[in-house]
Amino acid sequence: MPITSRCQQAAVLLLVFACGRVPVQAADAPAQPRATHWSFQRPKSPTPPDPKRLELKDRVRSPIDQFVFKRLQDAGLKPAGEADPLTLLRRAHFDLLGLPPSPQQAAQFLADTRPGAWKRLIDRLLTSRHYGERWGRHWLDVARYADSGGYETDIYYRNAWRYRDYVVKSFNDDKPFDIFVQEQIAADEIWPDNLDLDPRKVYKVSDLKRRHLEARIGTGFYTLGPQVHESALDARRLHYEATIDWVDNTASAFMGLTLGCARCHEHKFDPFTQADYFALHAVFATAREVELPLWTAMEEADWRQSYPRVIAVERARRAYRLFEKQHAGKKMTPEQAKRKQQLLDAVAHSVLALPEKAAGQFAVDYAGLMHKPIARVLARRHPELIPPIHLLIRGELKTPGAKMTPALPAVLAHATSTPAQLKRPFGSRKQLALWLTRADHPLTARVFVNRIWQWHFGQGLVTTSNDFGKLGQPPSHPQLLDWLATGFVADGWKIKNLHRLIMNSAAYRRSSRFASKQHLADDPDNRLLWRANRRRLEAEALWDSVHATAGTLNRAFGGPPVVPPLAADEIASLRNKWHWTVSVDPAQHTRRGLYIMVRRNFKFPMFEVFDTPLTSVSCPVRDVTTVAPQALWSLNNGSVIRQATQLAGRVAGEAGADPRKQVRLAWQIVLARPPTGAETDSALTLLDSLAATKQSSLQDPPATLKKLPAPRRRALAKLCLALFNLNEFAFVD
Amino acid sequence: MHSRRDFLETGGLGFGALALGDLLRRQALADSDRSVAPLAAQSPHLPGTARNVIFLFMQGGPSQLETFDPKPVMKKFDGKLLPKELQDYDLAQINTADATVMAPRFEFKKYGESGQEISSIFPHLARHADKLAIVRSMHHDLFIHGSAMIMMHSGTQLLGHPSAGAWVVYGLGCQSQNLPAYIAMTDGIFRNGASMYSSGFLPAVYQGTDMRIEGAPIQNLKRHSSISASEQRRLLDQINAWNRLHRSTRPGDSRLDARISNYELAFRMQSAAPELIDLSHESQSTHDLYGIGDGKPSDRFGKMCLMGRRMVERGVRYVQLICGGWDAHGDTQGNHTAQGQKVDQPIAGLISDLEQRGLLESTLLVWVGEFGRTPIKQGSNGRDHHPYGFSAFLAGGGIRGGKTIGATDDFGFAAIDDKVHVNDLHATMLGLMGIDHEELTYLFEGRYRRLTDVGGQNNLAARLVRA
Repeated sequence: MPITSRCQQAAVLLLVFACGRVPVQAADAPAQPRATHWSFQRPKSPTPPDPKRLELKDRVRSPIDQFVFKRLQDAGLKPAGEADPLTLLRRAHFDLLGLPPSPQQAAQFLADTRPGAWKRLIDRLLTSRHYGERWGRHWLDVARYADSGGYETDIYYRNAWRYRDYVVKSFNDDKPFDIFVQEQIAADEIWPDNLDLDPRKVYKVSDLKRRHLEARIGTGFYTLGPQVHESALDARRLHYEATIDWVDNTASAFMGLTLGCARCHEHKFDPFTQADYFALHAVFATAREVELPLWTAMEEADWRQSYPRVIAVERARRAYRLFEKQHAGKKMTPEQAKRKQQLLDAVAHSVLALPEKAAGQFAVDYAGLMHKPIARVLARRHPELIPPIHLLIRGELKTPGAKMTPALPAVLAHATSTPAQLKRPFGSRKQLALWLTRADHPLTARVFVNRIWQWHFGQGLVTTSNDFGKLGQPPSHPQLLDWLATGFVADGWKIKNLHRLIMNSAAYRRSSRFASKQHLADDPDNRLLWRANRRRLEAEALWDSVHATAGTLNRAFGGPPVVPPLAADEIASLRNKWHWTVSVDPAQHTRRGLYIMVRRNFKFPMFEVFDTPLTSVSCPVRDVTTVAPQALWSLNNGSVIRQATQLAGRVAGEAGADPRKQVRLAWQIVLARPPTGAETDSALTLLDSLAATKQSSLQDPPATLKKLPAPRRRALAKLCLALFNLNEFAFVD
Repeated sequence: MHSRRDFLETGGLGFGALALGDLLRRQALADSDRSVAPLAAQSPHLPGTARNVIFLFMQGGPSQLETFDPKPVMKKFDGKLLPKELQDYDLAQINTADATVMAPRFEFKKYGESGQEISSIFPHLARHADKLAIVRSMHHDLFIHGSAMIMMHSGTQLLGHPSAGAWVVYGLGCQSQNLPAYIAMTDGIFRNGASMYSSGFLPAVYQGTDMRIEGAPIQNLKRHSSISASEQRRLLDQINAWNRLHRSTRPGDSRLDARISNYELAFRMQSAAPELIDLSHESQSTHDLYGIGDGKPSDRFGKMCLMGRRMVERGVRYVQLICGGWDAHGDTQGNHTAQGQKVDQPIAGLISDLEQRGLLESTLLVWVGEFGRTPIKQGSNGRDHHPYGFSAFLAGGGIRGGKTIGATDDFGFAAIDDKVHVNDLHATMLGLMGIDHEELTYLFEGRYRRLTDVGGQNNLAARLVRA
């Protein structure tokens, strides 16, 4: 009866405390720091349980299984068998790319009967650039990523997307995780390069310098948090709120700790003091946000020269359009006609005056010329402008206590045999980043391999992936966690290898279609991994799937956030219409969900309904809710209907007019499997009955669909809509 | 054991991942053997007097001095410098040292047996004086709309915290089978976006639904023009059949059942929600009672108030009605005259109507803005934002009216007596619903969070229900 006992524990806790109600003695000296809690001690590399002693030794595929089978065996639970190949294929595709496999990819996978097909599939998926889009999005949850500041003004962060692209690229490049951490916390202190031209290298910028510049975009992690952007708030308070966000998110994202409690009082459960908290605050007090040009002095000069000419084009065009509008439908005098011609000539001249690069590829480079490539990153403050950091009693600015200097949390410094005090005024962020990525750090690797595990299995070995402290849950497989963490570090913090390791295990390849009374009673949360967890597609994966299956997904990579159009009822609650300025180019409206504008004050409505994370703080695990508005979206939303029509066009184009072939293909596209006989029959009946009734006409049917007789094309579009509404479409087995 | 888990997953509108501490909370809230579905109606901790809330939010910040807080002393100082002892306060934009006092611009009279003082902008509401509990000592310390509105709705100025409505539904569940438990409506725009009705860190099932007065009241509610009603039914039947088939080979996953039942709920909502906002079957006298009628200033908010009553009748737990336009920086007198005309008759009509239908005793009305306005003049005849002392009123929900709670100083500058912080107001609202605000918690980021943060000590609930 695990729930009951844990409930009782929680009951005791609840009776004992309520955060903040107990009087606080902030100024008390902390006791000698001690790290008795498991996660504050260095991980040792455990030996996997002896496979020979396992009942299921024949099913062991990787050392992971030795740990997992041992726990199951001890608990007396038999695991589910292996999932069938098509289920595994779909699972792997969604897991690594967030996209469904195409019928061709399914056929290829089934045709590969040589040993090692599964490994080859994983390797192939890991080289796809869609991999970084999928896994980068996971990290963006942790990084509380958004393109705007929230609160009333919800100011737009025009460069936040560069951090998003940096994250995606980091995953695609298989950047070692220790470097990834170092770059985000302190790239400017670790690699303080600039893009000045190097005369010894023939006025070029070395590749190394460019890489260092790219690394600095990592510190964008700190520049995209929530921000009150209004007058009538004092600057000290604004600075305090912003840097508090930095401290809290550093702790959540990299250390898996909720330090926020220690802002107002000594942490009630973990050995962190207010002094620890504000010492970490002092680490960040030396930093400020700057707009870093991502180009050389030469490029800058080039841009300066071109920019007035680009504006001139814009002016000339406006003047011409205005004149046209003013005289639209009226008869012009000869003088007016002459004036019109002059204005037109002016446009032509202004275009000809553009630099060749801009004029040649107007659509692309014109926009590029208008935008300075800039990233918002961290830099050092002027030494004289570093604000003094005080321990704040009860976390209030009004009641400052002792002045603080940068330091590591005492108990963790002790655990790693590192002096807690850090350099000042500068260099402490660098020290923090390097300390966090030490091979023997008790938290960093554990926390991250647990995240990777969670994103593969739906729940972590530690289910509270942002809280490895005492209030967090203990790991289900402590030995496995440490084995993974130490192996990860020894392997050079390589993330793609970790995917391979996990996905090649039998634990990963289990069927989800299994349960027994005993299993559900003994381990209802499947902590012991006796089956695979069925997972609802995340908002972005669902959006991507609808478009990918319809054949309309624009697979372009990176760039500024895109803004798809919304129906009137979706946009009604938006305060400022210009906060949702629809992207001009319709091709942008079907980009991957990752690229859709993330406003803190106005979530893309479909994303809101399907549980995209709160962007105010780091999100360790997304909620998965099942609510009626989800059904309303899939049934009624105009964009779903449009995509169903497109899908029908794709089906008709590839399968022709034979309804049986249409049904078969539709199933293969949408569900990555052929239909059963019964499903085919009911689908054919549905098609016939829909075609036999009077129907409203379709909007914008694609040409391939128009080849079918009108009643059949409408029926097919509706069948496709029905498929988008299936649980099997929304869930991955 | 797993039956309880299944209950958790299948109930009502859906399933949100609930942490253990919260499961426990919910058990404490629920009768001993009840299912623990996230939106199932729950019994409160304590016997409460209110079952539903209508939160009348006056967006922009109505002036306490032009509504419920007469300051006769100020007449003498009208146009003169602020007394020295009040010059120490930090204000948003006005320097108190050279600011001049602006006396209340409307006449106050005493109404009812209780003699409650109400300004002349609320002639209809004044007739209900004996039903109102007026709080004159509201306060917090946030000057800008954004933060103050978040504070007023979620008890903290930080983003990402659940609004009071979400907490109430989390605590008490939903009574309606066809409608959301928590509905928010505005006569303009939600100035703060979804943070006005957000479920914050609570599971998204507790999120308010923003409903519109015209057209399709809920997003995606309207059937697409290319699909007829009978076709939709035919499609739904087939979707359900396939989903059940899919379900039959996947044991131990009640989310799949929850989704199947959600499709039926969605189908029912398609008719229930438009029916809710369709006022055509309400009698002419009802329309008149609320001041509804083409061209009348009270038309829009009147409709919202009438819809509010219809929501309460249909079991919606928490109704949030927002009336914008109170931000009277310029002509406070003119602004408040117009604003009064917008809301006076609708709110008075709502109280009368609820009373006639026997719903007032169980429906708590709360009227408040995000802050009040300065006693000193801004520009030639306006008032700036002012959070140190402002007014609110409560009615219904078992309250014995005719009470005035707390007081500001002689200039309505700051609450000085029986101060009621936003946290206290929220504690009071929860208290009237039978919820102990210190016990309604949710574990987030390592802390058991409350709507009332660490405040709420001045809980008025017990006082308000006493005769």
